[in-house]
Amino acid sequence: MAKSPKLGSVENRKAHWIEWATGAVSAILITALIGWISYQAATQADGPPDLSVTVVSSMGRAGGYLVIFDVNNAADRTAAAVVVRGEITDNDNVIETAEITLDYVPARSQARGGLIFRNDPAGRFRVSATGFSEP
Amino acid sequence: MTKGGTRADFDHGRFAKGLARGFAGALLFALPMFLTMEMWELGLYIDRDRLLILLLVNIPLLVLLARRIGFENVTTWREALRDASIAYCLGIAASTFVLFIIGVLKIGQALPEVLGMIAIQAVPASIGALLGRSELGTRSESSEDEKDPIGETRGDGYGGELFMMVVGALFLGLNVAPTEEMILISFKMSLWHAIAAISASILLMHGFVYALSFIGGHELDENTPGWHALIRFTMPGYVIAFAISLYCLWTFHRLDGLDPIQAIVATAVLAFPSAIGAAAARLIL
Repeated sequence: MAKSPKLGSVENRKAHWIEWATGAVSAILITALIGWISYQAATQADGPPDLSVTVVSSMGRAGGYLVIFDVNNAADRTAAAVVVRGEITDNDNVIETAEITLDYVPARSQARGGLIFRNDPAGRFRVSATGFSEP
Repeated sequence: MTKGGTRADFDHGRFAKGLARGFAGALLFALPMFLTMEMWELGLYIDRDRLLILLLVNIPLLVLLARRIGFENVTTWREALRDASIAYCLGIAASTFVLFIIGVLKIGQALPEVLGMIAIQAVPASIGALLGRSELGTRSESSEDEKDPIGETRGDGYGGELFMMVVGALFLGLNVAPTEEMILISFKMSLWHAIAAISASILLMHGFVYALSFIGGHELDENTPGWHALIRFTMPGYVIAFAISLYCLWTFHRLDGLDPIQAIVATAVLAFPSAIGAAAARLIL
């Protein structure tokens, strides 16, 4: 299957200007890539994951109420196995809890999930991240 | 393109052999993906627009690949199109066959699930079907290729080298792209690790082709300095591997919700196997 090395193989022929142009553009792209990552690496903070949960929507469904939420990670470290717990309270009594584990919430990124309740969560609902592990 | 001519000298045995080789190539190339859990799941949840784009992008890729390799001696675009359709068909057949015999798909399952899983697996399988002709074929049998004008130019030329790198990057990259490990590794890595991975990929690519000089290696003349080849071949090769990795990860929903810098790190992880594949393809194909 191997090509027999022959005279005038593609490397040794006189290069067309397009080859040099492609090469130059590629070299610039790679330099820019490495430069950008280096800049980010030099400026990033080394704190633990910083998680916050925001509710996106809440709606009634057959068999329960669906609450969709986003978990944001503002830090430069990724959190894995992020546990998000939602609670419906009535005058300090917790009526119902629902919990879900998200696989990853990457650094400076967000992940979406949903919780399903049997009671209507409107107005008496709170949701927060309760734990994570390092990937 | 005379129909009579093709019919008169049509060799059924040889055609059947070509089909069998294509099927074998599809299995060889795509079995790791057939047996990957993430690929089955992707068949269910992949965004149908992205799946459609993937299925459409596969067509020109197969036609170009057929033009270079093909089941039979391919001299025209029409024949390349014919071979590409056969390969696509074999890919679909192979993925249907394997997914049913391993019990991932069952009779009576909902049609969208079945179609999604078969369609996504058919893409790597069809590439494998086309490569099967080249990799499993024997040299003696294709000796007539030597007189074939395409056979002469095969693999030659700058565009040809770059295209072979695309195929090689897909070959190794697609195998690992759907797995969760790609993003998990990127989460474990710091940004300095990512820079090291990019540099190592480029060095290894260059070393594979020029320093180690396997059979079919691209020996450089005394008067062609090494950095010439680095700029003209290895750098574009890495850009190709990186771009293909980015496309694969996007298609497989691995970049959803990711910060750009995290997405770049994940792509650099996948670009490592892709780059090795691209370099190897220049030697093997």
